[in-house]
Amino acid sequence: MDSAVTGPVESGRVEPGTVEPGTVEPGTVEPGTVEPGRVKAGAVKAGAVKAGTVKCVVWDIDNTLLAGVYLESGAEPPPADPGMATVLRELAGRGILHAIASRNPPAAAEHAAQVTGCEFAAAECGWGRKSDAVARIAAELNVAAGALAFVDDDPYERAEVTFALPPVLVLSPEDMADAVGWPEFSPSVVTPEGRRRGAMYAQRRRRLAAERSFGGSREEFLRSCGTRVTIAAASVADVPRLHELSERTSQFNSAGADLAEDEFGSLISSPASGVLTVRLRDTFGDDGLVGGCVTEHGAGTWTVRLLMMSCRAMGRGVIEALLAWLARSAAREGAQALEVPCALNDRNVPLRLALAAAGFRAAGDHAAGDHAAQGQAAGDQAAGDQAAGDHAAQGQAAGGQAAGQATGRGGLGVPGGAVGPGRAVFRLDLGGPLPELPGWATGPGEP
Amino acid sequence: MTAAPGGASSADASSADAATTVIADEIRRILAAATGRAEMLDIPADAPLFGQAVALDSLTGTLLLREIRERFGVDVAGEDLNLDALATLGTLAAFVGERAPGGPGEAG
Repeated sequence: MDSAVTGPVESGRVEPGTVEPGTVEPGTVEPGTVEPGRVKAGAVKAGAVKAGTVKCVVWDIDNTLLAGVYLESGAEPPPADPGMATVLRELAGRGILHAIASRNPPAAAEHAAQVTGCEFAAAECGWGRKSDAVARIAAELNVAAGALAFVDDDPYERAEVTFALPPVLVLSPEDMADAVGWPEFSPSVVTPEGRRRGAMYAQRRRRLAAERSFGGSREEFLRSCGTRVTIAAASVADVPRLHELSERTSQFNSAGADLAEDEFGSLISSPASGVLTVRLRDTFGDDGLVGGCVTEHGAGTWTVRLLMMSCRAMGRGVIEALLAWLARSAAREGAQALEVPCALNDRNVPLRLALAAAGFRAAGDHAAGDHAAQGQAAGDQAAGDQAAGDHAAQGQAAGGQAAGQATGRGGLGVPGGAVGPGRAVFRLDLGGPLPELPGWATGPGEP
Repeated sequence: MTAAPGGASSADASSADAATTVIADEIRRILAAATGRAEMLDIPADAPLFGQAVALDSLTGTLLLREIRERFGVDVAGEDLNLDALATLGTLAAFVGERAPGGPGEAG
């Protein structure tokens, strides 16, 4: 694999047509000649790229973040490249994370953070391939390769990452002045949580280090660092962040879909549905609003139309607390079952694991039509209520999409997924003993 | 897979059991690494993975399934949407053993 890339690229000159499709430079791609994932932003017509797809930019250090080479500058390491420092601050302000992939020693990453005045959510320093470093960063930060951009002045490194990780948006430092204006780097909403994202990932690194050196179980660790999970009814002020979460989450998103701000707004004001927020903090920092859900309260069944959580909150007792609170609240209101219709795709395995761990079972065959019917039934139960009627429509839309018309995220539909088409309804029977609400969690109706 | 010495049909079955035992040990090591708890190395085959002893959650479960896919080439979540395979250590090892390339499932 390496040799195929090395030959034509090492000289620094890339002849169109002589290299693998994945190695072409921005702007030289004819639309339609390469797979969508490999098309660079400059070659894509406006509107073809979803706004804000890049969650994290992975930076090289030498001649990229720094105006010079770290190890060749004697006692005084080079200053930040002023243009890149401006780009870093601008992107951080939009809630985009920064990370470092460098062949320099780790001290170079600390120097880069100092001179750029920017927090880096992850830093991979070492002699391995850059594509491996980028993949490790994606794993550490829990983001898909398609949500990463990679910036390096060295055309070989750019070609290597493009070849090994086609979904990554690969750019040169010269591209960046333009790129800040591209839709990939322009999320549609930027919330207070978003602006603090870089700092929260830095907290996360400190928390993970503390957990590694902690002797006990995770539950004991969560207690020891003062974890607080607060479940509350959503207010109108929460709508931008709820929308942002619905857009950004995939590993913990039951619908595999996002909801528009006005949809959240009408759900909040509807008596037939509940919209909940989940906030998380501990002694390492305040993560703010990290999760939420939309519930419908039918006669015998509570249905969770959307269950979502930031992957940053993974492993911190949040999803467990929310599922326990839902089960207890539904039972208190007289429901016999709690149901979570769930898109089946390869990205939301963590959510399905959480459901299985909480005792939910997926019901029988996952025929798409069943769910449209359920949506309709839920609408009928609350006849005359407009929001409930919307749900019936969404249920039908979900059924149609699962039958093979998936066009991507939007509404409570189903995106395409590698696992296969369809949805399953995960169900918890509330007749048995109810789960305890963990001691670190509080919510409406709980002491 | 070549049958064990003296390969009759009963030997095929026992080689499948042996493969499952090897896989179960590997899963114990993955769990110990994912949870940072050495006692995972000693959990019995019938230990429920979501129960108290192992207490698999979305984080450790995701790490476990990722490692299984890398080491055995089996995508558990892709093939078992309900994640029934995760009932116990033994059911997971058997599930992986039946599907691992070159494992007893392919030897047939």
